[in-house]
Amino acid sequence: MKIRFNLNGRVVEVDAPPSTILLDLLREELRITSVKRGCEIGECGACTVLLDGKPVNSCLILAPMIDGKTIITVEGLAKDGELHPLQEAFIEEFALQCGYCTPGILLTAKALLDINPRPTIHEIKEALVGNICRCGAYQQIINAIIKASQKLRRT
Amino acid sequence: MTLELMSYHVIGKKTIRKDGVAKVTGREKYASDIYLPNMLYARVLKSPYPHARVKSIDTSEAEKIGAVVITFKDVPDILFCPRLVSTPEATYKDWRVLTDKPSYVGEPIAAVAAETEEIAQKAIELIKVEYEVFEPSFDPLESMKDGKPKIHEKIILNDKEVIIENNIACKLELQEGDLEEAFKNSDVIIEREFKTNRGYHNQLEPKTAIVNPEPDGGLTIWCTTQSIHNTRLLISEIFKIPISKINVKKVALGGGFGSSIQTNIVVPIAVALALKARRPVRLAYTKEEDMHEHSSYQMIFKFKIGAKKDGRLTGGYMINIMDIGAHQIQAYPLLGTCAGWWVSLYKLQAMKYSGIAVYTNKVPSCAYRGYGNPQVTWAVETIMDELAEILGIDPIEIRLINYIGEGDLFWGQGPTVKSVIKSCGVEEILKKGALLIGWKDRPRPRDQKGRFRRGIGMARGYHTSSAGAPISSQVIDYSGAILKVNEDGTIDYITAMVDHGGGTLEAHAKIIAEEIGVPLKNVNIVSADTQTTVYDVCTHASRGIYAGGGAALNAARQVKKKILELASRILDAYPHSLKIRPDEERGQGIVYVEGSSRKEITIGELATLARIKNWGTIAAVESYRPPACPPHFTGYFVEVLVDTETGMVKPLKVVIGADVGTLINPDLAEGQLHGGFMMGWSRAILENLNYSKDLGDMECKGFIIDYKMPTVMDIPDEIKTFFVETYEPTGPFGAKGLGEGAQNPAIAAIANAIYNAIGIRFYELPITPEKILEKLKQSKEIEKLDLEKEVVKSEVA
Repeated sequence: MKIRFNLNGRVVEVDAPPSTILLDLLREELRITSVKRGCEIGECGACTVLLDGKPVNSCLILAPMIDGKTIITVEGLAKDGELHPLQEAFIEEFALQCGYCTPGILLTAKALLDINPRPTIHEIKEALVGNICRCGAYQQIINAIIKASQKLRRT
Repeated sequence: MTLELMSYHVIGKKTIRKDGVAKVTGREKYASDIYLPNMLYARVLKSPYPHARVKSIDTSEAEKIGAVVITFKDVPDILFCPRLVSTPEATYKDWRVLTDKPSYVGEPIAAVAAETEEIAQKAIELIKVEYEVFEPSFDPLESMKDGKPKIHEKIILNDKEVIIENNIACKLELQEGDLEEAFKNSDVIIEREFKTNRGYHNQLEPKTAIVNPEPDGGLTIWCTTQSIHNTRLLISEIFKIPISKINVKKVALGGGFGSSIQTNIVVPIAVALALKARRPVRLAYTKEEDMHEHSSYQMIFKFKIGAKKDGRLTGGYMINIMDIGAHQIQAYPLLGTCAGWWVSLYKLQAMKYSGIAVYTNKVPSCAYRGYGNPQVTWAVETIMDELAEILGIDPIEIRLINYIGEGDLFWGQGPTVKSVIKSCGVEEILKKGALLIGWKDRPRPRDQKGRFRRGIGMARGYHTSSAGAPISSQVIDYSGAILKVNEDGTIDYITAMVDHGGGTLEAHAKIIAEEIGVPLKNVNIVSADTQTTVYDVCTHASRGIYAGGGAALNAARQVKKKILELASRILDAYPHSLKIRPDEERGQGIVYVEGSSRKEITIGELATLARIKNWGTIAAVESYRPPACPPHFTGYFVEVLVDTETGMVKPLKVVIGADVGTLINPDLAEGQLHGGFMMGWSRAILENLNYSKDLGDMECKGFIIDYKMPTVMDIPDEIKTFFVETYEPTGPFGAKGLGEGAQNPAIAAIANAIYNAIGIRFYELPITPEKILEKLKQSKEIEKLDLEKEVVKSEVA
């Protein structure tokens, strides 16, 4: 079936079987490899994308469900070659190690800051509870999100 | 030393990691991100039984739908060991690419490649297999008994057959000094038994291999690995393809933690398929499959340790029974390291060690961050705490009396890898850590009442930095580096070493920039593969900065010498009178004559002139063997809150001190300590792969949803880290490793904190809420019983 959706600001039309999983559509069809394949059962958050602004595990979404909707992956964060404040803060605060969880966590964090520009530490933790960082950089990730929120409020 | 430190321009400075932008923009390429044109997708048929034999296999239906199929009949009839870190006399071989005698649920029997993953999966489901099923063993103590079904009959060691009896994979016995005499001279002898958990690494990236057959009969391989060179050697060994025709590409690794020290089984399977299909093949395991690919070793320790009244240890006996699962990856070397981790913690006049590795019908075990050290340290540091209490000595004091430090012999990687310790910050770590946690005011065990009880515990530990040593040993350890100076004044750094994400290569770049005298941004960490690099054994044993950094430093020294020699021709000065300084603004290293401000040339100008004048490229290659295995030391101080109604434990405050020699990447090193705590917490409280006899498999069946791991909710309220200043004379700029020592004492400190809170010791990991509640209930019943006895006594009186 034909599926039309907005991917990082551009309209994409694909022809895919209705059973296609969004994660596979993005990676296998569109080669958006920033969306990482982790557990594929919605537990690790490595495949997180924003669906109409909300973070979802793309391994749990069927492609037809995004017809007419907007998907943002980490490629959609940087604007005109300028890193998003969250991306800058993640680098500056060393909020990543192996980096496999990073795209998913950045998107979860963006969704949080979009609706809550001044989150408490507890609110940040609640938002991140579905994203596993096995390298254990959670504290640095929280620090980076706080730093980015301050930057975003200033601009 | 302090003066020298102050004059460093990048060592020890906060700098932005070079792979940061690639990682935050999703541009970093992991093995699982490699897709090739005309590629086939592979799937694997795995045994549903823990112990069986394939009576018949029919692949015709699978082939009918267009799949390329291979079974155990189509792969080389050869036994191999997927890990090539040890020398042949320490490498037991019992693996096959595909087998007709599966010995764990998940063992590969056949594999297919097809145009899509869906067709491949369908083909797998069309393969018909008849099995003869045998009785499985899930308990090493059972497995060792006479008459139990054999998991392996014959295996290979150093080209010779080894007959396996009682499912004992291998053994190691060690003895030093007169143990009987030592126990006789003891005022107290303590005997304890410990059982560790079986852990799953859960590196987020499942194991993956992409193989491209080349027109010359060779192969190009992208895969999850901690060693590209050992991958190529193993594929050559199995498939008899010349080593030089196999090229393994280095890609980012989505977490390792030891799970890719060995070549993951997906690699030879994908190679076999690609050779048959003559097309590129991609084999990416799912998480469930990944959980059936590797796990940690589960160990039973029996300790007998003696001490004098003044706290000095006398002698000790350690029995180590390791459940290694169905195949050997590094069971024999691990028997050696477990002994080493024990005897290198505290001084003993005499020791005896009996290590036995036992086959069971479980997923094969491999190294898991610390290589047995976290488990051994948990046991030993529990015993040290107990001894301190028995003898009425402060737990920190008893450790200071006995610890192995500067001038002592250290076993870096089992009995064949030893060197003398030349840098040690243990005392400072323990004293500063005690102050920061509030050690003096910690609660006393069994003093607290009420639902929530607070406890403070500590433990110390270390890990080796590399498996280097003054003499060659049973462990291969050397690294390589290639440097070339570009005409723009930048320097390309080419290394086979894999960075797990901890910033190993970042540290190398700093070492190179510091040594030559160029801005850090002028050192490029460029792509690498086995064709373009010299050998590096593996990123393991916390050897990245120490051994790999040593290679980088020596290459940098060579390059610097050549730069000075060529510059001397231009500047008309002797090479030894020239210096190089980094100029951040001009983005160049500047070669200058000291005291003469006009006589200078940038490295870019020099490299350009060298081309025009036909002097050649300034470049160097280094293959470097580290001369020692210096321990990096850590100390953990943990404050927990135990909820006696739910059994839940919460980390309140964590203080971690470390001696890593010279600190090269301060922020990344701090990240290692944070990550070390989280993994240690996980292993102390949460993680375990229980096996179910009924399922013949893990209780969670490979579903990560039922495998408990820390999320962001598990971080402590406060975590403080500090580094003490030491200088390792054998390390690059005085540096040592950190990755494993960052975690090793964590489990022990957490367990000791729980004891401090509720007065109960746990000798089996993980310390789950269920176990805590059960023990609390038991201790309440004992208290009640004691109380009743008191009442009866007083009534009688």
